[in-house]
Amino acid sequence: MSLSEKNKSTPSSEFQENLEILRQIYFFSGLPLETLKIFAYLCTRENFKQGEHIFRQNEDDGQAFYIVEGKARLEREDNGDTTVMRDCESGEFLGGLTLLGETGRLFSLKSVADTTCLVLNREKFAKTMAQFPDLMMKICKAVAQSIDTWEKRFLTDQGDQCGKCMGRLGVTLI
Amino acid sequence: MAKPEPSIVKRSLFSWIFAAGNLKLQLLLLLVISVMVFANVLPLEMQRRVVNEAIKLRDIDKLFLYCGIFLAAVVFSSVLKYLTNVFQTLITQRTTAHMRKDLYRHILTLPLNFFRKTQPGTVVNALTTELTLPGNFVGMAVASPVSNVLKLLGFAGYLFWLNPLLAAVSLSIYPIVMFLIPLLQKGANKANKKRVDTARTFAARIAESISGIHEIHGNGSYRIEGRKYNKLVDRLLKIRIVWSLYRFAVKTTNGFFTSLGPFLVFILGGYLTIKGRLELGALVAFLSAQERLFDPWKELIEFYQVYQDGQVNYQRTMEYFDIEAEHEIEPRDRDALELEGSVEVKDLSFVTDTGIHLLDGINMSLKPGEHMALVGFSGSGKSTLALCIGQLYKYTGGSVMIGDKEVSGLTKKDMVSNIGFVAQSPFIFDGTIEENILYSCRAKTGDNGQAEANQEMPTLDDTIAVLHQTGIFVDVLRFGLNAILTPDKHAELVEAIVRIRKNFQQDYGADLADYVEFFDENKYLYHSSVAENLTFGAPNKSEFANQNLAKSEYFLNFLSKADLTRPLLSLGINLCRQTVDILGNLPPDAVFFEQSPINADELEEFKILEEHLRKKRLHELNAEDRHKLLELALRFTPGTHKMAALPEILEMLILEGRALLRQKIAEDDPGAFTFYQMSEYIYSQTILNNIFFGKTKTSNPKAQEIINQSIIQLLIEEDFLEAIIEIGMHYQVGTKGDKLSGGQQQKLAIARIFLKAPRILIMDEATSALDNKSQTRIQNLLETRWKKKSTVISVVHRLDTIKNYDKVAVMKAGKILEMGTYDELMARKGMLYELVGKK
Repeated sequence: MSLSEKNKSTPSSEFQENLEILRQIYFFSGLPLETLKIFAYLCTRENFKQGEHIFRQNEDDGQAFYIVEGKARLEREDNGDTTVMRDCESGEFLGGLTLLGETGRLFSLKSVADTTCLVLNREKFAKTMAQFPDLMMKICKAVAQSIDTWEKRFLTDQGDQCGKCMGRLGVTLI
Repeated sequence: MAKPEPSIVKRSLFSWIFAAGNLKLQLLLLLVISVMVFANVLPLEMQRRVVNEAIKLRDIDKLFLYCGIFLAAVVFSSVLKYLTNVFQTLITQRTTAHMRKDLYRHILTLPLNFFRKTQPGTVVNALTTELTLPGNFVGMAVASPVSNVLKLLGFAGYLFWLNPLLAAVSLSIYPIVMFLIPLLQKGANKANKKRVDTARTFAARIAESISGIHEIHGNGSYRIEGRKYNKLVDRLLKIRIVWSLYRFAVKTTNGFFTSLGPFLVFILGGYLTIKGRLELGALVAFLSAQERLFDPWKELIEFYQVYQDGQVNYQRTMEYFDIEAEHEIEPRDRDALELEGSVEVKDLSFVTDTGIHLLDGINMSLKPGEHMALVGFSGSGKSTLALCIGQLYKYTGGSVMIGDKEVSGLTKKDMVSNIGFVAQSPFIFDGTIEENILYSCRAKTGDNGQAEANQEMPTLDDTIAVLHQTGIFVDVLRFGLNAILTPDKHAELVEAIVRIRKNFQQDYGADLADYVEFFDENKYLYHSSVAENLTFGAPNKSEFANQNLAKSEYFLNFLSKADLTRPLLSLGINLCRQTVDILGNLPPDAVFFEQSPINADELEEFKILEEHLRKKRLHELNAEDRHKLLELALRFTPGTHKMAALPEILEMLILEGRALLRQKIAEDDPGAFTFYQMSEYIYSQTILNNIFFGKTKTSNPKAQEIINQSIIQLLIEEDFLEAIIEIGMHYQVGTKGDKLSGGQQQKLAIARIFLKAPRILIMDEATSALDNKSQTRIQNLLETRWKKKSTVISVVHRLDTIKNYDKVAVMKAGKILEMGTYDELMARKGMLYELVGKK
């Protein structure tokens, strides 16, 4: 247990550290401090040993993750072949969409070093947002803008290499 | 069967006065009143005789006799007055209770539609406040007018008997009053209505300003808001003045005219007495009888007001709920029908009040035992169709036949005997798991309030089987494992658990070390409270029980000796501030309070304490506040309560305190604690913690599963599983089941319908909150155990579960676009193909 190591003479609580993290996550950017405090209080820290799955493809675990420490690998399995997508480092936030609605994962996330994540689940998110119905619009805005930014960047960076799959682009048109 | 009572909403307020049960009481009341009126008039006559016969003739015997009768009459009438109050109260309370029961029963049967437009607050208000005045009116309805009119007549008659002329003159004022007062009252009522309206605007204005306070501060618009508010205050001021003036006018007019009475009596009676045409005694009696006219008169006017208000409240309430239930609740002249499991829907339509076609020309049929999946986007009408078949919505056109019966013609009882319905967001009621699981079965067998005395109820084995089928078994096991045993009830269990503990440590201890913090005398336990860390044992005296520890003189002395008082108090302050800041405005939902040292029901007092903390320093706080802070600090568990950190120095002090306390207890009071040791059961801890001889570190589902597997294995080996499940079945689920997760609630809702094993099962996205595994488990169950036995109509949100349904119907905008087996529809490459692609 590393808690005692962290306890310096004026220790900052896990809650305060969580709050600092949440304030930097784009998904929550429209929310006032009052709401962020509740999320910072409700989210938990989970440790994953090297090689352990954080979430698995096709499963709906209903959780969003922020990688506090460590490293995790995004993979996708198709017809038995596993493709590595990319590695996620500390500071990355994944799974905001999962908080909004039930969707099975399209990818798996596996820790490649001992990893600590900050975790918020759908129930806590939904119950808290139910207290601030007006703020849901802010979340929607952040999500819409993220999708827009993603597709814009994709078109600028890789649009010319896309070839056939060009016909399937347009996620911003949903 | 008895003739059905007319619905409460159709009853007039007057019908309650002599309603069943009240009739006898009202008659008895009448009898008492008539005797009482006589006993009221008697003292007047005695008064006259004392003056005229006893005092004038100096007859001591007569003085005693008349005074004796006077006294007896007064005592007697007081007793009778009390009796009338008793009867009146009985009538009032019984009627109010009766009204509440009937109205609630009526409200429960109102169509779902109604509740979409009605706030729960309105219903609560109607059932509590609004029915109070009508109840009061019914209580007074006979007693007040009869007794007061009789009294008036009695006194007036007596006056006439004494002196008709004087009586006529002094009573002549009442007709004038009767004419004037309603006029003034009308004015008062009008002003009062205006006052109510303005007060409502007034409240809304204040609420608006307060919720927009940051905008006001931001703009510095204090004056603008102030002016808006002042205008309303001024308007209210004027209305209130007018209203008050009218009210006082009523009072003053009444007072003025009734005080004119004695004036008339004095002037006319005095003249008559001086002239010798009236005896002095008669004048005295006359005066006091006249004075007594005032009371019944006042009471009559009060009764008039209760009547007016009560009538308005009653009518307004009943009009509001005057809606017919869509279906009869129970058949009148037969038992519930046993229906065949076929479903035949023809040209079904469902049109809302505003003309929107939610369902339009639906045709489909299912043979008994066939399974159908309804798919489509939200809003396509699939839930509406399921609800229409289940009679929860009343369809507006076409027909739905179950067996050979039209659904709209069946009673609710017929439906629940044959159909099971699992709603999209099921409702779990406050009570135990067991009560909730048996809920549907109890309702079906017509529970009469006497639990268990029914042979049709499922056995424990049935119930456990269903727990397994729906996958809630593990959850119930966990509730059982989290139970705290008491020494008097579970002696055998306790012995077994201590035995299991040893086996557990041998077989599983190493595997679970990552997830469990084992009790270790020399280590700080981050998943135990400060109090547990200090005592490291279970208290045997109530003085040292967790909730009393901060009050115990002995323990407080120990804290100061161990230099712990101040650091703990400042930890308490920190916890209080942070928790109130985070949770201060949240509702008492378990999700919010699981990780909080302050319980939901204590939040308000800690909010007040937090106010104190802002104004006062630590040493200025009173003893009660200090005690609360200390208690909070003693609950602090670093592993759970993340809003504060445990300072390293405090951690060391607590560890030293642990050793000091143990030594001190050994010297002063050796039996006070049972310190944690491998060979003893710890009664202050849960069963699971006892098996572990430690506490779990994480609530992470994956870790829980690993722990569960080991524990189940162990419990099976020790033949102990069923005992724990039985304990778990008594777990209290909380209001609306809020101590259960969404998935657990849904599993429980499915379990209670599975246990009822209906002939037709309607599931409206019944598995949407479940994880994949549980969803698949339930799907498999439907396919293996329910196929060909029960007809299933399932509104489905995930298309990977529909392959094995007999029929799949794809809906869009209230119509079935295509219907067939999964393979047929996929081959057709129509709507379903597209949907599957999209998902």
